[in-house]
Order: sequence, then C-alpha cells, then structure tokens
Amino acid sequence: MELAARIYDVVTNPEVVSDEIKSLLPELSDRDKLRYWRRVLRVAALCHDVGHLPFSHAAEKDLLPDGWDHERLSRVLIESPEMAALWNEMTPPLRVDDIVKLALGPKKARDLKFSVWETILSEVIVGDAVGADRIDYLLRDSHHAGVAYGRFDHYRLVDTLRLLPSRHTSKGEQPAEPALGVEEGGIQSAEALLLARYLMYSQVYMHSVRRIYDIHLRDFLLEWLGGGRFPIEPQGHLSFTDNEVTAAMYTAAFDTNRPGHIHAKRLMCREHFKLLYHRHPDDLAKNLEAVDRVYEAISGRYGAENVRRDQYPAKGGLADFPVRVKDGRIASALSMSETLRRLPPVVLDSVYISSGLVDEAKQWLDAKREAIIANIGEEAV
Amino acid sequence: MKRLERAALLSSLGKELIDNGSWCGETHLQKAVYMLQEIFTVPTGFDFVLYKYGPFSFELRDELGSMLADGLLQLAPVQPYGPRLIPTDRSGQLEKQFSKAVAKFHGPVSFCAQRLGSLDVAELEKLATALYVTREYGKNLKAKQRAKRLNELKPHIDSNDALDAIVAIDELLAEVEKKPA
Repeated sequence: MELAARIYDVVTNPEVVSDEIKSLLPELSDRDKLRYWRRVLRVAALCHDVGHLPFSHAAEKDLLPDGWDHERLSRVLIESPEMAALWNEMTPPLRVDDIVKLALGPKKARDLKFSVWETILSEVIVGDAVGADRIDYLLRDSHHAGVAYGRFDHYRLVDTLRLLPSRHTSKGEQPAEPALGVEEGGIQSAEALLLARYLMYSQVYMHSVRRIYDIHLRDFLLEWLGGGRFPIEPQGHLSFTDNEVTAAMYTAAFDTNRPGHIHAKRLMCREHFKLLYHRHPDDLAKNLEAVDRVYEAISGRYGAENVRRDQYPAKGGLADFPVRVKDGRIASALSMSETLRRLPPVVLDSVYISSGLVDEAKQWLDAKREAIIANIGEEAV
Repeated sequence: MKRLERAALLSSLGKELIDNGSWCGETHLQKAVYMLQEIFTVPTGFDFVLYKYGPFSFELRDELGSMLADGLLQLAPVQPYGPRLIPTDRSGQLEKQFSKAVAKFHGPVSFCAQRLGSLDVAELEKLATALYVTREYGKNLKAKQRAKRLNELKPHIDSNDALDAIVAIDELLAEVEKKPA
C-alpha cells in the first residue's frame, strides 16, 4: 500500500507530467479526482491479495472450483457487504468497481471496462514490468528467505517512474496512449528489478525442493479438504489459514487413518519426491515435447502414484515499457536495454519420482532417454 | 487447438507478416491474431480484452514468451521502437510437423498478413479497436456512433481518425463476406 501510494505521488506530481499527458488524462488536473483515486489505489493495493489461500496461491487451480482463482476471491471479499459498508463510510465513498479494477487489473477483471487512467493505475499495483506488487514481494521474500537476489534500489526506481506516451511519435502524428514508464536515469533500476525477479524465480521460487513441497501440499489438501476444494464463500474462505492446515498436516503425518496421511508424512518427515528430469535445451532441440515423453515413460514404468510433473510456463511476456531519453524522445525499454532483452524467460518443466526409486529411475532414464524423446507426436488434424 | 499446433500457426503468421513488410513486434502479432479469431474464427482460443493499443490477449503474450523460451522466436531490437519477434529455424521445423494445421488456415493467415503487414502500431491500434467496437455494438450501429465510442475508449484517437478506422473495418468485413479468403 505504501509503495503504490509513493508511485502515485511521484507520477502525478504536476512538475513531471507533460502537457500532452495532462491533455490525455484529465484526472491529473482535477484535485478532487486525484485525491479520490489515491485513496482507491491505496485500498486496492491493500486488498489485492486478500483472497490468497493458505500458503499463498500454490496449486490454487486444483484446490478451487473451475473458473476460480485468488484474484476472484479477492474480488468477492472486496464486494462483500461487510467491506462494501467500509467503502461507503469513507468520505467521499469509494466505488466498489473502482477498487476491484485497480486491485485486479484488466487481466483478471475482464467483465469491467477500464479507462486509460484506470488501466495505468491498475498497472501501478499489478503491472508486469514495474508494479508495486512485484517490487513488494521481491523485497519481502528476499528478506524472509535470507537471500540477496531480490534486493534492488527501489527508491531510485520509484523516483524515476513517469506517465509517458507509450511510444515515440513525430510532430503532427496522432498522440500515443499514455502508459507507466521511466526516465532514462531509472532504466538501470528497472533492469535491477527485472534481474531480481529472474534470480528470485530461478533460485528461490523455482527451487526443486520448494516446488515439490507445493505438490505434496496440494496432494494433502485434495484428500484433507471436504470435496477436495477450498470453500469460496467469504466466511468459509476466511476460516482456513496456514495455522489450520499446518496443524492438520502435523496430525495426519503421524496417524495412518487420517486423510492425506501419506502426503503429510512426505512433508513433515522430509520424505519428499526427488527431481529426476527437467527440461533440457539439447532434448528440446530434438523434441519440443521431450518432457511429456519422459513423464509418460516414467509414469508407465514406475506407476503414476510414484511420479509427479511440475510445469511453470513462461508468463508475463516481454517486459517492455516507455523510456524518456535525455533529449525528450520516447523509446522502448527493450530497444534501450540489452540487459532486458537478454533476460531469459523463467520456465520450468520437471519430473519428480518417489525418493526410494530415484537411483534406479535415473539409471533407466539415462539408458532410454534418447529413444524416449525421439518419439515425436503425430499431428492430430 | 494444441499448444504446439498453435505455435506453428503463430510462426507462420509471423513469417507472412514479415514477408508483407511488417516489423512484426508484439503489437503486430496481437492485432493480427485478434483479426484471425474475430473475422475468420480461426480457433486459436485466445481471450482478448481492451488494453494496450486496443484488443489484447494476456494468454497470447504468455504464449509468445513460451515461444521465445522454446527457441521458436528470437528478439531483434529496433530503435527506438520495441523489438521484432522473428520466427527461427526451429519454428520452421515445427511448421513442417504441423503442416496440416498451417495449410488449413493459410488463406486467413495470408489475408491478415497482406492487410496488416504494412500498418504501423498506431494504424493497427485504430483498426483493431474499430473491429472491437463493431463486434461489441454490431454493424447496425451507425459508423459515427461507433466512432464516438472508439474515441471514448481511446481518447488519444480523435473523432476523424476514429471514423476513418470504422469505415475501413466495415469495408474490410464487407470484402471478407463477399469473397472469403
């Protein structure tokens, strides 16, 4: 919340907003509206992740009904009568839809129509490139995990954020849509943020043991929860926290009659599955579905109950944003920064196996791998 | 459509766009895929919302990221604009692997690439948003009213440009109806 408000104060500062941007975003010249939207932004930032399940959003796809995710739960809570009453009591009252738009953004609130102003403010919170949520979780997780990868000079980055035309235009040309960007002097801070993201993902979030713990947790919850799903109504959702789940796992780990016992034991007694295979550039060059083939072969040989697949496809695409260079022109961040262009996408695709089978399975896979990945699928059409 | 089949189609679209003079950045691919889906109902399965430069699919953005990760696309910087997304040799192999799907949609892909290849980002934004507004309100709503709506959604596009874009999209839709690609 504090970071989002800092960004808001910087980018709406009249001294750094050009006349062209002011003409395209009339909210910038209306003090009442500026004050209103600042409050909406702060509340939206506060509520953005209120719908998280216990242990964040690990495996939420399998633990919520179809079409539900933590963002939708956040929206249900923001729109709940209890919270709507709070928004109404504020002076001036905050419109619920405005909070939802900024908290979720166009990607997750697809039924709502966003103005350009609302799109930009939602990017202040949930933006892929320099959003406050990203800045916040990288710094926080880095601190709590005891690693330095996630740190960067966010003060410098925030101070150089600006509302800019989204692309370069010549005189007389149609103006470009405004977007969140940075001054040229802030591009190294933006690089540091995106490098921090890459390093935190590759070293912490995608660590093989951390990932398999998510899978064992999902397996436990599927058996332990009634119907294998978390409740979606507000009271039911709020009744589950990390504490309830941890206590249940601890009990189940040492009681063979409890639902989810085997998965809880894997978690609590560090009997987790081991990494057997993960995507390899040489194998992908031969077959883009190499991991599919390995997973099928290993599951067929050792039994699906002893094998797990973990996939994290590339998300967020290219981190591009406008940069105002020193001569006043606008350039794409990706054209300005070789560092940003060369940042590898974070992708994960791995196969795990029960710890008692890992040595034998490794030997078997070493002997069979080339034959397995040579099996290129037929076209279905 | 399976993921790799869809990647093969995107690769063929990228190549056709480049052959037709496009710089083939993300916006070009986004708008071309939107038109493929909306005009020719090619089942790529992407969900579009009104966002940057008009209709935009977050799933397509992720897919382009996956294609970069899989070595099916490569970035080439263009100053001061964003980078081009160029299909690689590996994507050519993928097109061969899924040659039936690529052939099945070759007509619509070629049509879109020919019509959009020479357009810059500003022109693509206008045309794609005009299609979005036309799909939202229907062709029966008068062109001036649709242009007004376009201008409300994208205030940086003035009324005259908005009307030109609506007229252009009506002509394009009429052409497709008359003579399917």
